[in-house]
Amino acid sequence: MSDEKKKKKKAINRLKTMYPLRANIDKGYERSVEATKAGKPTAWSMVNWWEADPILKAMDIEIVYPENYGAVCAAFGKAQAFLDRSDAEGFPTHMCGYARNCIGYAAKMKELGEIPSEAPMGGMPKPMLLLCSGALCDARIKWFQALGRYLDAPVWTVEMPHPGVEESQMPGVREKAIDFMVKELREFVVFLERLTGRKMDWNKLDEIANDLIAINKIWYDLNEMRKVRPCPMHSRDFWTCMNASLFPAGDPKEALRLYQDMYDEVKQRVDDKIGAVANEKYRMIFGELPPWHALKIFDELAERGWNFVIESWAYQAPKPMDYSKISDPIERIATQTYQWLTGYFEDALKEKEYMGYFAYPYIEWARTFQCDGALFHPLITCRTATNHLILAQDRLLSKWNVPAMIAEGDIVDLNLFDYADTMRKAEVLEEMMDHHKKVRQERGLEW
Amino acid sequence: MTAEEKKGIARAKEIYQDRALRAKELKAEGKQVMGYFCLYPVLEVLTAFDIAPFRILGDMKEPITKADACLPTVVCPFVRSAFDLGLKGRYDFFDGVVMCHSCDIGEKASHIWRIYLDPSYYHFLDTPHTVHKAAQEQFKGQLEDFIKTLESFTGKELSTDKLKEAVEIYNRQRALVRELYDLNKSDPPLVSGTEIIEIMVALMSIPVDEGNDLLKQVITEAKERSDGPQKKPYRLLVWGSVIDNTALIEMIESVGANVVMDDTCVGSRAYFPVVETTDDPLDGLAYRYLVELKCPRTFWEAEYGETKKDYIKDLDSRFGYVKDYIKEWDVNGVILQSVRYCDIHGYEVPGIGDYLNHNSLPNIYIEHDYSEGALAPLRTRVQAFLELIG
Repeated sequence: MSDEKKKKKKAINRLKTMYPLRANIDKGYERSVEATKAGKPTAWSMVNWWEADPILKAMDIEIVYPENYGAVCAAFGKAQAFLDRSDAEGFPTHMCGYARNCIGYAAKMKELGEIPSEAPMGGMPKPMLLLCSGALCDARIKWFQALGRYLDAPVWTVEMPHPGVEESQMPGVREKAIDFMVKELREFVVFLERLTGRKMDWNKLDEIANDLIAINKIWYDLNEMRKVRPCPMHSRDFWTCMNASLFPAGDPKEALRLYQDMYDEVKQRVDDKIGAVANEKYRMIFGELPPWHALKIFDELAERGWNFVIESWAYQAPKPMDYSKISDPIERIATQTYQWLTGYFEDALKEKEYMGYFAYPYIEWARTFQCDGALFHPLITCRTATNHLILAQDRLLSKWNVPAMIAEGDIVDLNLFDYADTMRKAEVLEEMMDHHKKVRQERGLEW
Repeated sequence: MTAEEKKGIARAKEIYQDRALRAKELKAEGKQVMGYFCLYPVLEVLTAFDIAPFRILGDMKEPITKADACLPTVVCPFVRSAFDLGLKGRYDFFDGVVMCHSCDIGEKASHIWRIYLDPSYYHFLDTPHTVHKAAQEQFKGQLEDFIKTLESFTGKELSTDKLKEAVEIYNRQRALVRELYDLNKSDPPLVSGTEIIEIMVALMSIPVDEGNDLLKQVITEAKERSDGPQKKPYRLLVWGSVIDNTALIEMIESVGANVVMDDTCVGSRAYFPVVETTDDPLDGLAYRYLVELKCPRTFWEAEYGETKKDYIKDLDSRFGYVKDYIKEWDVNGVILQSVRYCDIHGYEVPGIGDYLNHNSLPNIYIEHDYSEGALAPLRTRVQAFLELIG
């Protein structure tokens, strides 16, 4: 190995506890395929922010997340053929890259009558249920509806209200929203019982709901420790490990144990003042999903002293709250998901910021994590991940003198990310960050 | 002929060409005018408060410049155009706006509108994704909150009778629009597709009672005139995302077809569903706006809680009404169209295409970027499609 390669490898000080956690996630894919082969019912599910996951798990239904699998296909360089197939099927090319990957996959699976041989990590087994989520983007509903072309599995949609920031603070709105979610989830349980011929194990549901709350709590607390200087954990470790929280497909207790180990390691680094980047020069926000196929860019930026200390709201755990007085597990589940969705709204309203999710958290974190700049990666095929980034860029600069650069790319389509251009923009951003740091000091801001 | 003397189709065209014309007059007379986005803000509520609703639309002829500073280029160009007009002051006469969770970008653009345009009154109407019973109750609750904010803004209390009156007058408008569309069941149709767009845009720019008068004039004129559309070999239905400009329909009609029917949100989709009379008018309103409006932003299933998917049955439940239109309006070809980056329509395209093919109905999909310049290459495709129909 050359000296240069050694140097690049050391630019980010990865957490040791990240490796077993990630290995457990990877095993999850294989376990899903094996479980289905053994006759276990499988659901393809949209990420639903813990609203439906505990119910599926309590009903002993294996969960596969095609969004996550899209990232897997991209990382293995296997997505392009599925994207091309989706295009050939007549779906517009501007649609979500994960959806196109999945549609192409489903079309191929129908044609072959089995999992395509080129599918990485064992592929996605044929589902008995397609579970849509009303959260955030239209693809979460439309994509699985469109899969009716290739799969005969029924489609269910779990609802998620999206109040405006000011409207969310009106009397009764929170209660009505959670009540609505609870009613819908109870209907979902009845539906699943009919679909599977099994009865819900309410004790098991209670336990899993608590496990997921505990996972989110420790994951939240762990990320809070990244506020210190130098930041002990880089975004690379966040992206590698978020799946265990966001896609709770494996054993929650095992995930909880692995997150606890990770928490302990991060805590130790805080105590020892060890940063994830040796010379932390710039504390950075990363906006939206990273270019999975070009993650080495983080290493190159780390060599320049860029430490990514916080990232996109949608993949973070909800702000902790007290769930102990909510005895009904369904209500506890709905409350946690609603808390995730609206947890920043009250603060956003105080600041007269009206996009309480996606954009506002960046504004809050820029101050609380003392960030120098932001790298936003709008995803050409994902409107949801993109439509707020110019707003966030504008607000960060005007409010806190924190500049942001935009480097367009995609979550799956390799052709849409320009690595060299991103690095050129990074150099310009450094000049801007240096300048605005002085302006912040002149303004008397704390960082 | 002076502007004041214009009636019927000419009056509709006049309003289409200068949408704010009447709204600004009303404003000068002291009436409140409120902008609304998409189909889900309940117009009966605004009218019951004596507020004139004015639909926020875009302008294909106006290059998008200011919106680039707030919204990325990879989102719906119609939404970007509407927002661009707002930033350029074209909607400065509004007393407030009512936005909704139409689609994802509609929702986000609403919040961005609030931030950059800072209207005196703003309300965001969250709209559930499903049509389940609980969703209808939730939406009704949303309407109650919406009313509370308007009571606070106007200082008036809403009476149930006023709301019922508003329901009646809007249902009359819907019946008149249906009557207008029925004129196109004849061959040749009595109103061109281009004129339909002008009339629909005009209706969305004036108070409902004035709209009803306009519709009566238009219907009488269309029946009596001798210079209406000519008979052509192709009777088309146009399906898809918003069309608020005549350019696309003009292009289609210029190559030898009559557009006799549509399924778009500045057309039949906005007007065909009526409000059922219910003791509490909010029940009927919630049902009409959530369940009856057939926009693909909402999730429907063929049968509630079905445990096995039958693809054709599913398509029939989602697009069966389009098949009915095709039969009633004697359509021999369907143009499926969408603005680029419209996810909710984009995902539907292969499905509705399958459904039309299953029913042996020729169809073609065209995509455009909400600019007149982008339509020229589509002309050739439409011509080829017409040749294919034979």
